Amino acid sequence: MRYEDPELRERLAAEYVLGTLPSRSRRRFERLMTEDPALARVVAVWADRLALIDAATAAEDPPARVWRAVEARIAADGAPPAPAPSRFRSVPFWRGLALGATAAAAGLIIYLTAFTGRPGPPTPAVVAVLADQSGDPSWIAVAGPRRGEVSVSAVRPQDEDARHSFELWGIVGGTPRPLGLLGPRSGNVSIIRAAELPPPGDLLAVSLEPPAGSPTGLPTGPVLSRGKVMLKPP
Amino acid sequence: MNIVKRLGLEERSASGSLLQLQQLIHRTSRRDAAAFAMLYAQTAPKLFGIALRIIGHREEAEEILQEAFVAVWERSADYDAAKGSAMVWLTSIVRHCAIDHVRRRAVRPESRSAPEEVLLGLAAAGSTDQGAELGALQRCLGELDEQPRRAVLLAYLYGFTREEIAADFAVPLGTVKTWIRRSVERLKRCLDP
Repeated sequence: MRYEDPELRERLAAEYVLGTLPSRSRRRFERLMTEDPALARVVAVWADRLALIDAATAAEDPPARVWRAVEARIAADGAPPAPAPSRFRSVPFWRGLALGATAAAAGLIIYLTAFTGRPGPPTPAVVAVLADQSGDPSWIAVAGPRRGEVSVSAVRPQDEDARHSFELWGIVGGTPRPLGLLGPRSGNVSIIRAAELPPPGDLLAVSLEPPAGSPTGLPTGPVLSRGKVMLKPP
Repeated sequence: MNIVKRLGLEERSASGSLLQLQQLIHRTSRRDAAAFAMLYAQTAPKLFGIALRIIGHREEAEEILQEAFVAVWERSADYDAAKGSAMVWLTSIVRHCAIDHVRRRAVRPESRSAPEEVLLGLAAAGSTDQGAELGALQRCLGELDEQPRRAVLLAYLYGFTREEIAADFAVPLGTVKTWIRRSVERLKRCLDP
């Protein structure tokens, strides 16, 4: 075929976008496009024209397993391997509250009281303490620094790597809502709005997610820690 | 023309800052997993909708979406913003993965909307700022004869091959080739200013 003919180029470009080129012609055409930027532009114009048809197609959230599968496949391609501990995988999401969390919270409050050297309510006011599977406190949420804000930070450094992040969730009536990403070190403070907190008695949880956070708006990785909201600051 | 805006996709990160899809693809080509995750978060729902439309089967569409995003990861260095919008590039990868899949499969699911219904849905789906372009596309498709128009839409919406279209209309393959060739010429004349 003579690919210099403008009409032929136009027709092949349109058919490439329509999807009607037979598989073998399509592969040949794709090779041509890489060598011929002008041809690629003709294709782009057709793609742009017909893409309007896609506007009528409803978006639909894919299940979280699609992203997990993509992540697993690209991990084999040079990216550092995922260290996600397998024992967490089987833990059901926030089924009940780890009893240890309450005990840990009590312990931490005593610690803070001792630290500030004053009896009574500790300063700053503890909003929640999140404990891991074994009941050890791992994150703490305190009121402030300003009115209407809550600061969340790690009590101890968390196992971190470049391929994951820690995401905070508020769980009301079993439904998780994303509250933001958390830094893994004790010095990292994430500030969230107090108004977004679940009411006292409901849960905060931290899950392991892709670096940019859960792509779905729901937790996709294992829940590492959780704790009850004890007070909601004004 | 901003196809992303026209498709109703917001190029916003979770923190509200504006991030261009093309920037995310560029960072993906440098093996930036965070950028790739953000790219997925922003585009996967629309692309999953498109894969579902062509394939008509949920689990299979999930597999194809997965395959397409692995291809995006591998081919992100090939993307050139000068040759078209990022969303159209991503859509093209998903479309061709889906089309290959339905060609490998012997039978097609029967449940799908008639192309005309989908075309009518265009008007409803389009936001006001894309109204003029949508209107033009609808008008130009409307100017095609009924059977060639259906052929074009069956190909684009559901990945029908020329052979499948011929079987669907009980016409010779040569007729379908002629329909598509003429439709393409007429659409170009009609859409080009």
